[in-house]
Amino acid sequence: MSKTLKPGEARAPGHTYQEAIAKDASQPPEAFLDYSYEFLGDQDIPYSHYTSHEFAQSEMEQLWPRVWQMACREEHIPEPGDYQVYDIGHLSAIVTRTESMQIKAYVNACMHRGTALKPPGDNGYCQAFRCPFHGWVYSLDGELLELPEDWDFPHVGAGSHSLREILVDTWAGFVFVNFDREAESLTEFLGVLPDHFRDFDIANRRIETHVCKRLPVNWKAAEEAFMEAYHVKETHAGGRDFSEPVTTYDVYPKNVNRFIHTVGSVNPRMPTAPSEQELMRALWGRRGPADGDCPTVPEGSTARDVYAEVIKKSLGEQYDMDFSQYSTAQTLDSIEYFVFPNFFIFPGLSLPMVYRFRPDPKDPDYSYFDLYFLRPSEPGSSQPPPEPMMLDVKDSYTLAEGLGFLGAVYDQDTDNMAAQTRGFKTCAKGGQTLGNYQEVRIRHLHQRIKEYMEN
Amino acid sequence: MTVSDLEMSALSPDSRQVVMHEGVCVLVCNTGGTHYAIENRCTHQDTPLHEGRIRNGLISCPLHGVRFDLKTGEPRGDLTRIPVRTFAVEQTGDRLRVQIDQMRSS
Repeated sequence: MSKTLKPGEARAPGHTYQEAIAKDASQPPEAFLDYSYEFLGDQDIPYSHYTSHEFAQSEMEQLWPRVWQMACREEHIPEPGDYQVYDIGHLSAIVTRTESMQIKAYVNACMHRGTALKPPGDNGYCQAFRCPFHGWVYSLDGELLELPEDWDFPHVGAGSHSLREILVDTWAGFVFVNFDREAESLTEFLGVLPDHFRDFDIANRRIETHVCKRLPVNWKAAEEAFMEAYHVKETHAGGRDFSEPVTTYDVYPKNVNRFIHTVGSVNPRMPTAPSEQELMRALWGRRGPADGDCPTVPEGSTARDVYAEVIKKSLGEQYDMDFSQYSTAQTLDSIEYFVFPNFFIFPGLSLPMVYRFRPDPKDPDYSYFDLYFLRPSEPGSSQPPPEPMMLDVKDSYTLAEGLGFLGAVYDQDTDNMAAQTRGFKTCAKGGQTLGNYQEVRIRHLHQRIKEYMEN
Repeated sequence: MTVSDLEMSALSPDSRQVVMHEGVCVLVCNTGGTHYAIENRCTHQDTPLHEGRIRNGLISCPLHGVRFDLKTGEPRGDLTRIPVRTFAVEQTGDRLRVQIDQMRSS
């Protein structure tokens, strides 16, 4: 093991992500060049935070009712009466579109005897919210409209018994809800995110693929599996030399962090730098013979720039859109932003994922992972989102259509999860040890949870 | 098993029609260019389905929102576990033949 740096000094050896993309022919978005690493401590994270029912219960009481969470996309509810149910632990919300095209969200429970008005995860359409038990009817605006046998309820009226509204707001086509009616605004909660996403038209993307999988691990450990690129070399490349990507890790107040790693650039740890043509061949190796011969990198150009043009052209043809304004970094790189507590978004062109993680309310050893691919579309596209494909713990991601080669990659990530859950319970050390730089986002997640638990 | 044919004109895209045929209320829909026929009765609480919104080949009951797969009749969600009846549709030019299976009548 080599000599480590003092806390706060740690950075990967060689050039940084920001230095690597400065060599691209196209100017990356300003935010990509920003450094925002901060040393957040080096104490172990107790395993009990993942395995204990009491800790999960505290999260359910202190955290989940008070944070903004992505409930759906606007295209899930394009017309009045469309609704989407969002469930988090024992809490459930109905998000709907009213007759005046406003988006509203309500607690999913009848004001009579508490019956859930809609089943878990449901989406669909109804003219009004009608309780299936006794037929109390609420307008799309939540107002109590009909009360069967109202002679028996002199103590009930629209003022006291309309549906309980919760906070709802949108960003970039995503609908967020917050069960805490006193919570800060969504804009405040999202911090730098809207500014960092100025150069991406996320609002006009549409869900192409949606897979929901049950994972054999606590929701936080599931998220952590996607928060660092440190695992890439072993989990996805069998430990192959020089397979670690050049990655930046950044933390922003209060709820945002990110990594961005290059695709197709030189690994600075290689004793001899490969030629641009060798890099091009490595990139092209991912493509089949149907895509033609590997392009030649002209003198003075780079494999990244040549490959980005190929991707922009092929995706442009596939989606009948013009992507020429996308920089090389926006087109190729793995750009992953996280919004506490459970939302990840990749705004890049070739890796267009969105993740959402939720705990299993009955068992802290399990969680649910919604994986979406968002593809660019023409403004105003009315294509409805696909039905989610449900995968159980043992089901391979390769069963899901639309994930391509990434299906097997997600399987590799999942294989570690059950092993981690078992290890949490037998490891005598008592907690997870984290790298100061590469795993800082994990520490940020736990720091935010602690703040919610203590306040 | 008795199969009785319902003969009718093909529908324009994204339209629907309710037809009574020998005591069965049938909802015929053209969605995305494909015709489907189901019994016009939600198996959850016995409500007509024809005012329901159709998306991704699923029709939502306008009363409580239960969704049924137009092709298989299978319900989504947990408000009902009973499929809605579906009927085979054959299209020849601008004519439809809907095969109403009377033995499966509820």
